[in-house]
Amino acid sequence: MKKLAVVITTPPYSNLTITALNYIEAALHSNINIVGVFFYQDGVLNANSKVQIASDEFQTIKRWQSLHEQYHLPLHLCITAAEKRGMPDEDGTDSLIHDAFTISGLGELVELSSTTDRLVQF
Amino acid sequence: MTHSQINKSLALLNSKAPYANSAGKDALDIALIFGSFEQTTALFFQGDGVYQLMQGQNGELISVKDYLKTFSAFEFYDIEEVYVCQHSLDERGLKSDLHIDNVQVLKQQDFAKKLATHNTILRF
Amino acid sequence: MTTLHIVRQSAYATNDFEQCIQVLNDTDLIVFTDDGCYNLTHNCQKRINEQVKQMLIADHAKARAIEFKETKVTAITMDDLVTLTFQADRVITWQ
Repeated sequence: MKKLAVVITTPPYSNLTITALNYIEAALHSNINIVGVFFYQDGVLNANSKVQIASDEFQTIKRWQSLHEQYHLPLHLCITAAEKRGMPDEDGTDSLIHDAFTISGLGELVELSSTTDRLVQF
Repeated sequence: MTHSQINKSLALLNSKAPYANSAGKDALDIALIFGSFEQTTALFFQGDGVYQLMQGQNGELISVKDYLKTFSAFEFYDIEEVYVCQHSLDERGLKSDLHIDNVQVLKQQDFAKKLATHNTILRF
Repeated sequence: MTTLHIVRQSAYATNDFEQCIQVLNDTDLIVFTDDGCYNLTHNCQKRINEQVKQMLIADHAKARAIEFKETKVTAITMDDLVTLTFQADRVITWQ
């Protein structure tokens, strides 16, 4: 089985992120093993559960969450990048970070890079 | 980590000038982590990315913490490959007067070939 | 040895595509996605060797009312892009 890792650097309100989601879904449907998605730079905003998207627009935030539930897709959040953007690692219901996301650091990117066949940046 | 994975290499392609955004710093953070995990890591500077290497910069004048100084620590992280695109320097009327040593300035074709020797490429 | 170049920005707005062309090898492949689809008519196309294959995500071009001739560029789907990711030896995203 081919292995893929993806780095997301674009925010949830960008159409570029929808392209990345479509790519990931296409990979999942092609039986590619996605070893993990790593959220870096403005990409970390995709983990913010308080981001509101108008109901008649594409629900980027919810799509990440449902991919995680449906396919157990590992979603790794670079916590340093998240903290810079006002999303600290907090326990409990006040946490802005959705629980579909794992708190990670760049060490996780090293791990993904060494286990995957391809690492693709979006 | 299996044996076949040990030889993987990462190239970081830097394309942005150092101060207006965090791209250069974000790429540097990745380079240092990969270096400290003993992953083969190379840095490439193309386009406005070459401004990150110019001698005599002082980010403190515009309240930027000078992450460029960290470049001189590359050898401690076993980052031995640093390449600059000659064409990008020429386009900007720059001499290869750089603030770190052991940088290779490559002609466009050689820069392209060298980049294509790496397994993974991330661009910032 | 092939590099897959995913070009996501318009060359009328940024020089990402320009920089991509600078590192192209003849065996490489370009896929235009997102605003990268606008690059089909950009002047810097003249500097790309004919051997370099060019493709675009059909829906991304259609969404932008970009007309294209299949003789010059191949229209593909996202599934194809996934396949190409593994056919190529490496991927560079220009965004």
